[in-house]
Amino acid sequence: MDEPVLRVRNLSKTYMQGKIPVHALNDVSFDAEKGEFLSIVGPSGSGKSTLLSMIGLLDKPTSGSVFIDGVEVTKAREGDFPKLRREKIGFVFQHFNLIPTLTAFENVDIAMRFAMVPKSERKKRAVELLTQMGLADRMKHKPSELSGGEQQRTAIARALSNHPAIILADEPTGEVDTKTRDMIVKLLKELSEEGHTILVVTHDTAVAQQTGRIITMRDGGIETDKRVMS
Amino acid sequence: MFDLILRNVTQRKTRTGLTVFGIALGIFAIMVMGGMSEYFSRHADRGLELMSDKIYVVPESGFFGGSLEDSMVSKVRHVPGVYDAYGLLYLPYDMESLGMFGAFVVGLPPEKQELTLKNIKLTQGRLLVAGDRYMTVVGSNVARQYGLNVRDELEIKAKRLQRGSTITSSRNFTVVGVMEFTSSDFDYTIAIPLDIAKKFYDMGSSLTYIWAVPEEGVDAEDLSRRIELGVDHIKTFSPQELRKQSEQALVVINLITISAAVLAAIIGGLSVMNTMLMSVSERTREFGLMKAMGAEVRDILLLTMGESALLGVLGGIIGIAGGSIFIYYMNEYLASMGTVLFAVTYRLVAVSFIFATFLGTVSGILPAYRAAKMRPMEAMKYG
Repeated sequence: MDEPVLRVRNLSKTYMQGKIPVHALNDVSFDAEKGEFLSIVGPSGSGKSTLLSMIGLLDKPTSGSVFIDGVEVTKAREGDFPKLRREKIGFVFQHFNLIPTLTAFENVDIAMRFAMVPKSERKKRAVELLTQMGLADRMKHKPSELSGGEQQRTAIARALSNHPAIILADEPTGEVDTKTRDMIVKLLKELSEEGHTILVVTHDTAVAQQTGRIITMRDGGIETDKRVMS
Repeated sequence: MFDLILRNVTQRKTRTGLTVFGIALGIFAIMVMGGMSEYFSRHADRGLELMSDKIYVVPESGFFGGSLEDSMVSKVRHVPGVYDAYGLLYLPYDMESLGMFGAFVVGLPPEKQELTLKNIKLTQGRLLVAGDRYMTVVGSNVARQYGLNVRDELEIKAKRLQRGSTITSSRNFTVVGVMEFTSSDFDYTIAIPLDIAKKFYDMGSSLTYIWAVPEEGVDAEDLSRRIELGVDHIKTFSPQELRKQSEQALVVINLITISAAVLAAIIGGLSVMNTMLMSVSERTREFGLMKAMGAEVRDILLLTMGESALLGVLGGIIGIAGGSIFIYYMNEYLASMGTVLFAVTYRLVAVSFIFATFLGTVSGILPAYRAAKMRPMEAMKYG
């Protein structure tokens, strides 16, 4: 069997709220295989978003390790984080988080610019991804001219642009209607079937039920870790 | 990245416009003050260049305190090492004025005019020649102010004190030549024959100063000292001393220019910094997002500092253009009144442009640093 794309080992995070320590994550460990579509659910404050930001190198854990593609990213120097983020991780956020002054095409293009991808290659890849997302005719539109679903699909295209090892999606359907939600989940599912490893943090049980595995978190720890039979 | 910088600048038109205007005002001030400084500096340089081969001889009591006699010219001429010496009369054209600004009448021996004017060319007519009487060769600013061409008449007034009362007499002088623009005191000159000037102003055998021309190969500094020792009741200024005095006077003007530049730097710099801090604050989430996408610190620095540098460049271009236009029209206006005060030089334009770019870039350092140091997680939560 191949080595897991993602390995999380004894991950803990403690914040200081004034002088009071808050344990947001407590000794969390799990693996994710290549092509796995995994959801992390749990009530607010259970630590699911904290877990995602630790895996995504957006924040540093207090202790524990995260391995992506066999590389222990938690051991990397802070100066290496941008490179690791570019090469290993793709983000999809709840608020879409597109740059408002750029078009859909440019929002996908900019992620590849940071990775120093040559212009011709960037163009080809951005067009290919946006077409795959069903946005071929919306490329020149700015986020304000796109619907919530279109914005989120643009964000997914951007997340895929640098061929990341895993895609981390934080409440990707939190701000869209049910029809768009279903479409986005279907899209993510298709991507996982193509071999992309996808971790989704969600409140929505309907979304979680569409994934292949559900990790339920409570009080900073994993409560259950179940495979879903589809 | 430049397209992204340009995009951001053009997206916020009002703010960009106001910031650019702030810098442009500062650069405008530098151009105008610097233009004045450049003019005076060039004026002094050109003047000194034209006098660089002569020793300036004045009364012992100074330029304003007395006069020289005709007899002193031959005494100066007889000092070993002096090739030639000749006296000049120097009087304000407008007898009511202090004589510090505007046109002035110079009485000089006609045969020495070529030597005095050195390589200055005439745009019209000829130089004075021996035998000329009420004739004049005028400087370019004088010609411009009074609309003079060859064969035109210029009225010159003389005032003299006679038995306690002032008598004013006037006389028309025919223009026989007009000098080219030299950016020196020669532009304000009304040259007339020395003997006519003495008679007209009733100066007897008085002279205002004497020019002594050293023989070839003679050290002017050394000769200057020898003339001072050899002739009584005079004071000499070698070309080097004249330059020193001129540079001292320019220090004041340069100080004013530097003060204007510092003021402009404070106003323009604060304006850019404020804009950039606001911009960074507004775009906190955007920078956080870029970092989450893998942007390096240098990418964020380039974007923010590039933007502030661009604001500086735009402000610089507008300030330089505005300052140049203002100087052009101001010089036109002043020229019609017989004077010029500003000069736009390549050096001034280059310094203003570099200063504006530097100002924009430096003012962007703090906001850029703040943007680059943002932790993506905190930035994403912001707003």
